[in-house]
Amino acid sequence: MNQNIGIFEANYYLPETKKTLSQVFEDEEKPTQTFAADVDFEKDIGIEALHVAKKETAADLCINAAKLTIAKSGIDPKEIDLIIDFTSIPEDYVAPTWSAAGQVQKAIGATRAFATAVNTGGCASYQTTLKVACSLMSANDRYNTALLVAGDKTPEFNHNYFPITVVSDGGSAVILKKNMTKRRILGVEVATVGRLHDMWFIPGIHNRKPEDIGGKYPRWLHVCGDVQRFNKELIPINLFMFRKVMLGVLKQVGKKMEDVSFFVYPTFSAWDLKAFREAFRVPPEKFSTENMHHGHLQETDMVVGYVDALNAGRIKDGDLVMLATNGAGFSWGASLVQH
Amino acid sequence: MGDSVSPPLKKKFMRAAVGILAASCHLPQHRRSVEDLFREEGANFSTDVAIRLGIMQVPLQNGDVSETASNMAVAAAKKALQRANVDPLTVDVVVEYSIMPQEYLVPVWNMSNKVQAEVGASKSFVVGFSGGGSSNFMVALSSAAAMLSENTSMKTALLVTGDTTIPGNRVLNPDDPVTVMGDGASAIVLQRDAPGGVVMDTELWSDGNNHDVCYIPGGSLIHPDDISLYQMQLDKVRYDAFPKPETLRRMSNQLLERAGLKLSDVACVLCSNISSQDEAATQQAFEDKVSTVCASNRESHGHLQGTDFPLNYLSLTESGSVRQGDYVLGVSHGMGATAAVSLIRY
Repeated sequence: MNQNIGIFEANYYLPETKKTLSQVFEDEEKPTQTFAADVDFEKDIGIEALHVAKKETAADLCINAAKLTIAKSGIDPKEIDLIIDFTSIPEDYVAPTWSAAGQVQKAIGATRAFATAVNTGGCASYQTTLKVACSLMSANDRYNTALLVAGDKTPEFNHNYFPITVVSDGGSAVILKKNMTKRRILGVEVATVGRLHDMWFIPGIHNRKPEDIGGKYPRWLHVCGDVQRFNKELIPINLFMFRKVMLGVLKQVGKKMEDVSFFVYPTFSAWDLKAFREAFRVPPEKFSTENMHHGHLQETDMVVGYVDALNAGRIKDGDLVMLATNGAGFSWGASLVQH
Repeated sequence: MGDSVSPPLKKKFMRAAVGILAASCHLPQHRRSVEDLFREEGANFSTDVAIRLGIMQVPLQNGDVSETASNMAVAAAKKALQRANVDPLTVDVVVEYSIMPQEYLVPVWNMSNKVQAEVGASKSFVVGFSGGGSSNFMVALSSAAAMLSENTSMKTALLVTGDTTIPGNRVLNPDDPVTVMGDGASAIVLQRDAPGGVVMDTELWSDGNNHDVCYIPGGSLIHPDDISLYQMQLDKVRYDAFPKPETLRRMSNQLLERAGLKLSDVACVLCSNISSQDEAATQQAFEDKVSTVCASNRESHGHLQGTDFPLNYLSLTESGSVRQGDYVLGVSHGMGATAAVSLIRY
């Protein structure tokens, strides 16, 4: 890709209200399946509390994140040419008919922008969307500024994504610009294993079971995971797929793993983070951990991890930053940002 | 951040041409007359309405498992790859452009993953788009063309959709009907350096004020358990107020100007198969260049969401009425929320 597209600004918004993990586990349905990893899901996860949106809608979370990011950047919303919503869980209204992108466009006054949404990749939708946005900007002289935005609000009693993680509510936004001299996106690599498509899904109201109507939990809006398939089909290939996309993006731009100065990785759990670090021999000082206390924020993890590391001074000028994640579907994504 | 922008580069990079290698549609065998559907949905099918719509029947799935949205999409994708003589293993990206709800809730689930697995495109990744109405096809086309032209490691894209309507919700806005929706699937194979069907450019535009002009209010976070709101609804006042043909003509003029062309250079225009009233307005704005295949497909299939364009494009190519080098414009107003215009050199 051409045009030196880079991250002009990034920020996130988290609702103030927090809920302790013990309260989450008390309120929600207990998992009945067994997780293959030798860990205690509730005790070892490494996340203590979650951010929970009360009256704010998922679109509000998007809009708040977008406004914070625009204010921080100092750009005029009318400069924005593209808005791409990369939220990876259900939004206020049914997708793909609707996405929050248009509502964000209206709320921030980005009257010149074209608004759309990427609805694949799960938590890796960040990388998928980067790939699409950078390609569109590179191919079209008229697209100079893009706003990527996401907002996730889980149903009240569905913060427990056993056996993967526990999830917070929040939003994030990234402003991309052309002709950047720093924070340039050197490359993006995405891979998908489609045969795992039905291992992790939300049924939807059209698949609602009669016994769930009027119950405590709107189960048709809760994630359903097949833990046995997760154990047998996903875990064995997960690190292999991470290696594939990370080596793929490094090859794209002629770099090596040892050139990477810092890794941004999702906050699924302490054991997942440890497994990744050990597999790729990443020392702790090269790894995002500041974001762990927010809980897992779906695709927004990539933005939170990046922003928190920047704010903590852990990413410096000249650093090559690898952002890597996986997500439902299942997809894996890796991108390289040159500081 | 925000302080590291250099002056724009003056050099324009060469961009590789990306073209349509093949297209296909997969529609249910079963057909329902529009008159029947109006009766079923308690809507008044007057002579005036019949004339305004210009739709006789629509294809609808009849419950057969082979006709779920994703299974029809898989069938359309396999047919398109076969027509293009493309090995699925060489597909770099699967791009999905559906509009109706899928088997499970999007975006956690998306049929593109299933399509990838079932056609054997195991080296690809997938991407899908939401919120563009029928213009979702052009969003997918534009994005896929951009990925293929700007990433040297990518050469071939499979664009695919499958849309099935919600029972009892085939007549859009029954009090003052705008269209009648059918079920169907389509697929297009795009390739860098394809000999024809070159995707020259796409102009995309959205009006955030109309983000909810056409949507399904129930079944997600705002109305999680109200099944009566699990229906596609149209705000007819805002829909009527949106200057659809004028917007599409303005966008087309901008796009043609960038290409150094005029409307007189365009062989024909393909529009969405919404209604005869909608097509008449488009016809007027585009100086009678809307192809006759649109009216014919509208009468026999109704509105098939993102499949309208592939269906009309296929009919146009099969009709023999376009020659190599002819310019074809595809236009879609996306119900007033997302408008799109694509220019293709046949």
